[in-house]
Amino acid sequence: MNRWRLLAAAATAVALTATSACGGGGDTGGESGKTTLRMIVNITPNLTEQFWNKLFDIYEAKNPGVTVQLEHTGTIAAEAKLRQDLAAGDPPDIAQHVVPTPETAELFVDLSGEAWAAKTPLFEDYAIGGKHYVVGVGEQIQSLVFYNKKAFAKAGLDAEKIRTIPQFEEAMGKLKKAGYVPLQTAGQWVTGAQFSMLADAGVLTADPEWTVKRKKGQATFAGSGYMRYYELYKSWLDRGFLDKSSLGLQYPDGQAAFLRGDSAMYIMGSYFVPAADEAGKSDDIGVFPVPTDGAYPPGQFGNMAQPYTVVQQSDTREAAIDLVEWLVTDEEAIKIQLAADGNLRKGFAYDVSSLGDGVQAILDEAPSVIVKQGERQPVQGYPEELNTRIQSLFTGASAGDVAAKLDQWWDSQG
Amino acid sequence: MRLPAPSPESDRHATGSRRRRFRDAAMSAGMLAPAVVVYTVMTIVPVIVAVYLSLTDWNGFSSATFIGLENYARLFDDPDTTRAALVTLVVAFFGAVGMLGLGLVYALQLKERRWSNSFFRTLAYYPHVISALILGFLWSAILGTNGAINNTLRDLGIGPVGFLFDENLAVITLVGVIVWAGFGFNVVLFVAGLQTVPRELIEAAQIDGASQRQINRRIVIPMISPVVTVAMVLNLVGLIKVYDIVVSLTDGGPAGSTETIAYLILSRSFAGTDVGFATAQAVGLMVVSAALSVVVTALRNRQDRAASA
Repeated sequence: MNRWRLLAAAATAVALTATSACGGGGDTGGESGKTTLRMIVNITPNLTEQFWNKLFDIYEAKNPGVTVQLEHTGTIAAEAKLRQDLAAGDPPDIAQHVVPTPETAELFVDLSGEAWAAKTPLFEDYAIGGKHYVVGVGEQIQSLVFYNKKAFAKAGLDAEKIRTIPQFEEAMGKLKKAGYVPLQTAGQWVTGAQFSMLADAGVLTADPEWTVKRKKGQATFAGSGYMRYYELYKSWLDRGFLDKSSLGLQYPDGQAAFLRGDSAMYIMGSYFVPAADEAGKSDDIGVFPVPTDGAYPPGQFGNMAQPYTVVQQSDTREAAIDLVEWLVTDEEAIKIQLAADGNLRKGFAYDVSSLGDGVQAILDEAPSVIVKQGERQPVQGYPEELNTRIQSLFTGASAGDVAAKLDQWWDSQG
Repeated sequence: MRLPAPSPESDRHATGSRRRRFRDAAMSAGMLAPAVVVYTVMTIVPVIVAVYLSLTDWNGFSSATFIGLENYARLFDDPDTTRAALVTLVVAFFGAVGMLGLGLVYALQLKERRWSNSFFRTLAYYPHVISALILGFLWSAILGTNGAINNTLRDLGIGPVGFLFDENLAVITLVGVIVWAGFGFNVVLFVAGLQTVPRELIEAAQIDGASQRQINRRIVIPMISPVVTVAMVLNLVGLIKVYDIVVSLTDGGPAGSTETIAYLILSRSFAGTDVGFATAQAVGLMVVSAALSVVVTALRNRQDRAASA
């Protein structure tokens, strides 16, 4: 081969590489009558790749010609994965675990006209401008206090009688005397999340529109009911109800410490139940709603479990809507999904432990589920900022510092 | 004076030479083209796009609006960015000093060709082979509140020590783990550099009665200073972008005390919908990184020129 042929071959190779790199992949399979649906899924310890494959095997068996392809998020969030795919001109058909915001709503198909969608959990709570872009399988509730029955017995406590903040503080005092760390926390995202689970039940049960008011500048953290919770949290740290060294624990380590019996109480969402079941500890653990200064039982801070959206740019939109409908309305699919992540839905029961029954009872008695979505969604990045600020209470900041910095940060977000 | 008219033979010769030059140039261009295309597509275009995006309010989904230098002005007002920039500087400075110092000491001890030295060099380089994410998780399991060290200390009635929950100690821990993970790379560079130092010089110094310390200080280290410069630039640039070890070791905590700029960009800004601002942070990081490389190299070159003069 002479030099010119060599050059021509190199140029062709470059051109081919560039062409193939620029070309987008199609969503519809090559064979006629075959449809491939690509779905972004969030892989978690409960919702594994195996779980998703088994679930979609059932759908594929019922719908010959349809193949569901998983789009893994890797180390990034589902929302970031969707953003990457859209920027690359390679949109998926469905995104799981992506909740639309007013800024992103236009990227998703409006499901308001679908009769089946209206019957799904928290459908109205997630509306944006009267339109519905997301549907879910069930509900997760998060304002729960899991407790170690043995520790309570040793401290002479009756969990049913803990309804108010003073009663909760008295219980923590007794648990500490009994030799337990009263309240388990951990570093990473856990610190701020637990604070939200506790404080939102109080503040947002009393004023469900508080976040909307904060967005309009009609409320501040410093002048709200949250201030009381910052002060409480700080005082609990000072009194040793929370172990300051817990910040050096990762989420699974904190959970393991509670399951091991090192600590007496653990504020966490309903998704803790499968972990307790897995550890064989469900019967040793009880659960009650977080205490508040107000009405009992309080509203439960909660959210849609396994939310699904259909991407507007999908080439196979109708087929994607059919799959989402199946995921959130088919009895078998619902039960499989609820059981995998310990989620709840009225009218659907599956084999659960005594702990799962306890959580279901709390949801049944809750006057409301507080959902911070749609118009009530905080500004982007708030959970991370709150987490940093609550952790700063461990490292010397005062309750006033936390409130002031949160107000300053919120106002800087435009 | 009239020049002689060119003969037909010299015309043919000149034409042939021009053709050859053209062919050579075309050949060179053809050979370079794939690399230029790849470099342009993979580096230059993304940088241009990033600079453009940093001048917009793009949220990553909808269309972007041009907002001028607003995001860059925000860089200076944003307390999180300021704090992360400080942490990054501390990590980069002390990390680079630690990696260079430890690498140099280690390399000076292991410069002779012996099997035991090869073993220890491999041992030093080994952490560099493992993913930084895995190293972070590993050290988190060792240094965490319920980790191996604190459990041992608890058994002895001491601690726990706040390697990962005390905000000052967490930064020191982060730097320590980074140094441990990265100094082996410098050892390899320095050992290679040390093996180029002429033995005659060292032997002459020994004959003159110079101590080992004097030999190292006056002969060996100045002679490998170009290698030190390369290592310093590589270390600084690498540490300014440090992210993975932060995620797995401290996740930016406690209370954001170990959040570096790269962590902030990837875990907070890009994870949200503030992509325009995140891109401005990334462009700022790129500029600082490039400026630092140029300044460090220029300073070292000046020092080297002064030394040889």
